[in-house]
Amino acid sequence: MADADTDGLAARRPLSPHLTVFKPILTMMMSIAHRITGAGLYVGMALLALFLLGAAVGGGAFSAVSWIGSGFIGNLLVLMIVWAIFHHLLGGVRHALWDRGLYMDAKGRELLAQGTLVGGILLTLLVFIFKTLAG
Amino acid sequence: MTVATRFKSGRTGPGDAYVSDHSGSPHARFMRLTSYALVPLGVLSAWWILGLAGKSLEGVRAEIGRPFPALVLLAFGVVGMIHARQGMDDIIEDYVHDKVLKAQAIVANTWASRAIAAIWVLAILLIAAPK
Ligand code: HEM
Ligand code: HEM
Repeated sequence: MADADTDGLAARRPLSPHLTVFKPILTMMMSIAHRITGAGLYVGMALLALFLLGAAVGGGAFSAVSWIGSGFIGNLLVLMIVWAIFHHLLGGVRHALWDRGLYMDAKGRELLAQGTLVGGILLTLLVFIFKTLAG
Repeated sequence: MTVATRFKSGRTGPGDAYVSDHSGSPHARFMRLTSYALVPLGVLSAWWILGLAGKSLEGVRAEIGRPFPALVLLAFGVVGMIHARQGMDDIIEDYVHDKVLKAQAIVANTWASRAIAAIWVLAILLIAAPK
């Protein structure tokens, strides 16, 4: 992969993106959100793996990890993981559409950005409501 | 290192846009292929993962113990962590510029992603495999 130069020239050059000068645009925020949810899911999967292992071993091991799946923190954590899955998933669908040259005009990409944001929240809420009614 | 003398690939025609002589294209294609598998796996897994919230030990075991959720979650863990390893490599390559640090971060990511997938699979098998 590309290696940054080491003689310090890069450090002295003004680099883009300048986090402070660009106006936040929804498509840009959704691009960044895709990366953040991807990295977040990495951590989430690690926590869930520990939770599952604790459940498999049982006894004290489960007591040690049950905070990941229950209580205020656990419920919030699971809800955030589920949201991250849906948001990141829709971000992936958006990438797949763009790969095929679809929805790339100004209107289309704005629609996809809005769809990712709203859709991620909506799917999370929907599953939450269904689960609450069912359970 | 060999010096390439012939232009072997590149944007040569419709559908060839992701062909190059370096590793970036297979990498991008890999992310896309794994993501296709992760769409159905992700939707179903999200459903069952949310179902784990607030459950007792018996409740968790009962949910993971059913064959269909067990198999789907198993596949989600494995494919997800293979995909996540490559994705995290991208993030490391974008942000870690120090050569040594970058190499260490890549190795750490390789083993962390394998460990997460291994623990995930082991846990589900312990719960769901017929005894
Ligand atoms: C606050 C400022 C910004 C931040 C924090 C930021 C962050 C990011 C991140 C995390 C990615 C990787 C996610 C992805 O590949 O989808 C990315 C990709 C990219 N960004 Fe930005 N960005 C910023 C502003 C900009 C601006 C102003 C431009 C162009 C004028 C730009 C152009 C790009 C391009 C071309 C990519 C590659 C997209 C791809 O690989 O699919 N970014 N940026
Ligand atoms: C649920 C279904 C999923 C879909 C459809 C999906 C889709 C994608 C796609 C298309 C990319 C490439 C983005 C690009 O080219 O810039 C990507 C990146 C990534 N994914 Fe996923 N993914 C899913 C699940 C996951 C999971 C479960 C994890 C973590 C365990 C994860 C972690 C990552 C990471 C770390 C990246 C790199 C982010 C970046 O470069 O900005 N993904 N995902």
